[in-house]
Amino acid sequence: MIRGRSLSPSWILLGGAVLLGLLDRPLGLGLVDPMRGVLVFALLGLGLNVVTGFTGLLHLGMAAFMAIGAYAFAIGTCDIYPFQLGFWPAMVLTVVVGAVAGFLLGAPTLGLRGDYLAIVTLGFGEIVQDVMKNMDAITKGTQGINPLPPPVLPGVGELGSEEGPWYWLFLGLLVLAVMACRNLERSRTGRAWLAVREDELAASCMGIAPIPAKMYAFATGAALAAMAGGLWASLYASTGEPGNYDFQVSILALCIVIVGGMGSIDGVLVGSLAMIGVANIALPKLAAWLQARGVVDPSNVLGSPNNWKYLVFGVVLMVMMRVRPEGLLPARLGRVGGGR
Amino acid sequence: MAPILEVDRVTMRFGGLVANEDVSFRVEPGQVYAVIGPNGAGKTTLFNAITGVYQPSAGEVRFEGSVIRKRVGPRLALRVLGTAVVSAIASSLAVNILSLWKAVVVANYAYGEPFAWGKALSCAGPVLREAGAAWTWLPALIGALVGGGAAFVLWLRRRRTPDVVQRAGIARTFQNIRLFGELSVLENVLVGMHARLRTGFLENLLRLPSFFGERHRSRDRAMELLRFVGLESRAPDAARNLPYGLQRRLEIARALASSPRLLLLDEPAAGMNPTETVALTGLIRQIRERGVTVLLIEHHMRVVMGVSDRICVLNFGKRIAEGTPEQIRSDPACIEAYLGKEELG
Amino acid sequence: MHAIAHLATLTPLAVAAALQAEPATAEAASGVLGQQIVTGLSNGMIIALIAIGYTMVYGIIELINFAHGDLCTLGAFFALMLVGALGMEAWSGVAGMAGVVLLLAGAAAFCALFNWSIDRVVYRPLRSAPKLTLLVSAIGCSFVLVNLALFWGGLPMEVFGGGVAAAAPKDFPAMVPDSSLLPDAWDSWVSAEAFLRSSPSWNDPSVWWLTWAPRVALAVLVKSRELNFTTSDLLVWCVTLPLMVALTGLVRCTRLGKAMRAVAQNPTAASLMGIDVDRVIGAAFLIGGALGGFASVIYALYNNTISFQMGYRTGMDAFTAAVLGGIGSMPGAVVGGLLIGVARAISDGYIEARWTNSVVFAILIATLVFRPSGLLGAKLRDKV
Repeated sequence: MIRGRSLSPSWILLGGAVLLGLLDRPLGLGLVDPMRGVLVFALLGLGLNVVTGFTGLLHLGMAAFMAIGAYAFAIGTCDIYPFQLGFWPAMVLTVVVGAVAGFLLGAPTLGLRGDYLAIVTLGFGEIVQDVMKNMDAITKGTQGINPLPPPVLPGVGELGSEEGPWYWLFLGLLVLAVMACRNLERSRTGRAWLAVREDELAASCMGIAPIPAKMYAFATGAALAAMAGGLWASLYASTGEPGNYDFQVSILALCIVIVGGMGSIDGVLVGSLAMIGVANIALPKLAAWLQARGVVDPSNVLGSPNNWKYLVFGVVLMVMMRVRPEGLLPARLGRVGGGR
Repeated sequence: MAPILEVDRVTMRFGGLVANEDVSFRVEPGQVYAVIGPNGAGKTTLFNAITGVYQPSAGEVRFEGSVIRKRVGPRLALRVLGTAVVSAIASSLAVNILSLWKAVVVANYAYGEPFAWGKALSCAGPVLREAGAAWTWLPALIGALVGGGAAFVLWLRRRRTPDVVQRAGIARTFQNIRLFGELSVLENVLVGMHARLRTGFLENLLRLPSFFGERHRSRDRAMELLRFVGLESRAPDAARNLPYGLQRRLEIARALASSPRLLLLDEPAAGMNPTETVALTGLIRQIRERGVTVLLIEHHMRVVMGVSDRICVLNFGKRIAEGTPEQIRSDPACIEAYLGKEELG
Repeated sequence: MHAIAHLATLTPLAVAAALQAEPATAEAASGVLGQQIVTGLSNGMIIALIAIGYTMVYGIIELINFAHGDLCTLGAFFALMLVGALGMEAWSGVAGMAGVVLLLAGAAAFCALFNWSIDRVVYRPLRSAPKLTLLVSAIGCSFVLVNLALFWGGLPMEVFGGGVAAAAPKDFPAMVPDSSLLPDAWDSWVSAEAFLRSSPSWNDPSVWWLTWAPRVALAVLVKSRELNFTTSDLLVWCVTLPLMVALTGLVRCTRLGKAMRAVAQNPTAASLMGIDVDRVIGAAFLIGGALGGFASVIYALYNNTISFQMGYRTGMDAFTAAVLGGIGSMPGAVVGGLLIGVARAISDGYIEARWTNSVVFAILIATLVFRPSGLLGAKLRDKV
């Protein structure tokens, strides 16, 4: 971080998250619980940001890698299987499986151009759901794999129903992921990605082999998404049903990246706060508030704020694209410390 | 002296359109060699054929005595074999995974009891044998053939891609500037250096010591190149914010960053004002003094006549003349086809 | 010569015999195959109709119009509302036919206008924006439409289930009877066969060229007795085929079609030539929307159930079809649609229905790996 003393929004946001973790209980905010979802989706968004934001490959099947991660983690830890790894070995396994899956999908398909690649990733997302659903001898089909044992952390012990330790664990992993993404972005690897995004032919004339570069981006993104999936499964002690990792989740990840600002790590953090914050925090709270007052009739379809979720998402996306297409916190120059 | 670049009877055809026909010339090391011709004469197409963007329909381009392309060797063998093995295992697994899982895991694991790995894994063999050739070996064979075949075909198709050519020592600029607009000026030069840098994915991810050493060296060299083209003070700016003339210079710096032995400049003076043009002529001379051979496409006769050692004239895709600037100046075919007397001044 | 003639006679005879004299199970299976192809083609035509909407818009402004599938959902809901409002469930005979026509026209008009307004309000202000901006708007738009369909399903009407359980699938009344058309036609063919068999030339090898064609035709028809070609199949074919022909004519022969092709090639040049680019794009949305409207009604009449999520699944198939055929190419969309329809049906019957989506996408991925621009798509080249 040669560039320097100026504090980037990422660190401000992560600092804010630390502060929230510290103050949540004394102030009785009750935000730590839903914030865990924000952190997991920020990880997923970071993964997609590597693929779509840095490398410019439209990816519509990120949820598939999340599912692969969740299932790898679950199979690795759950005691209905013989493997029964600890939390950390299973996490490593999850990340490796995710990267390999990304690699295997990317190898034959990364020669395709833009929209064709998008549909292939979309198809992959559907296939993975089907596989998880149909191979029930291994994946337990629609009931999902559960219960997963809680993570055991050195010095803390078993993570139970208390939210605090979970929050710190997720936040710590997110900080690591942010650092990894920044390191990559400001290196030879990341420059190759950005160059391929800006102009693939020119990049190739500069000696960058585009397909291997894209392959690394794909695998990195998949590994981060798998990590998000593993954490998600661990949080709910279950993979949930395969349908949970559907196209909507992939699109949610895309929204996070785009609302935040394509190719901007700061943006991913803001984007996940905005999108998941609205979906998981604001809407449920609004619903509870309205119902407590008896304002709305929950049997009417219009009465439940949850039914408005996609309308809100859709309108947010459309308005964003009209008003601020570069996102809330667009990527900034000076990745290599040009500012000095 | 052996030529650094030999264009040998290159023909480029697109469907029925013949963009280059039987074009030949040779560039000696240390020369500035210009290719000129009216618009649509096939100059840029020729550049694309040289740099691997297109493959010549006929003829070949030799660089330092040989055609640049990926060599048949252990890397290829490893790649084809590796893909074949991986896809063989993957296809066989895809067919047998459920029965394997049942035999190895489900049959040997009772809830809460220890799992005997050795015994469990030994159950895999019988399952595969029992499934027989049709279900075990046939998918593996098909997978190996398809995977290995695809890997080989893709390798064959990508034997002479632009990145292969660039790494062999030919760098280029573009007629319609193709900088990485959202990247800073410095980053653009660093991208040009890509093939000369070594740090891999893990080193960059974990910031191992080698990363810092190389970052330091590469940045110094990039700044030196920016100084050479006079862009030092603009290093942190976004490339797309540079004025047009400076963008052309940045393209040259970016191309030089890979330490090429041959530099291809595609109309470097297009859109430049007279002052900038004069400065560019000086820059091309300096590039030659650095020991880089230059192949130039240009419309500005002043630039061409001022710096070139030899000139090749194309018209309608064919070579109509070749020689020193003086010879070209007096060649009647050229004058008729392209130059026009008053332009020679 | 005689031997060859003999062989040539015997071959169709053998084929005909093989077709007629199979063991019961195989016969059933092959009958199922034929049935699957028929059903697959019908579904494929619906898919193709929607795929054309994708491909037209993509061909002109290079936008994957994600909202298109959900537009079709709204079309189906609109049709169901019409049914409810006019009490069409009770219409029968000529009135029922008129009702179907009314539904088709109504939904087509509704979808065309809706699609046109989406373009006017959402996409037109973004004409000069990067492709991705447009795509994200389309995704946003799709979300809004899904949500609108969800609300629409909560309408307090009898046909929507009285306004409770908005998200539940809705029954669409079977206005077109599901009766098979073939058995009636079959009887006349039996007498035709008897007539042929009684003629002396039937068993004379020297006039083989007179008999082999009817033989094969008869054998195929015997098979087709097991087929179930219903009125709703007929409806699908009668609506989609003329539409496709008309559309081809429109694009090939009219001024608007020429303008569309020009805009697709190069919008700037087209506008310099005096073509109103926005109007042409608007027309593409109008036409694509109308096709989507037709498709939504025949989908509803063919499957008799609709839900607010149907546009996602069908839209995905249609989009896959468009890409498989080569996005931007209209014949490609039709070919892709039919292929996907048949592949789905065959996979449903011979593999397992739960793997069908995977099979479809696996076909797509495999095709793209070997033909990166789809089956009929134009090969693109980088401009340097």
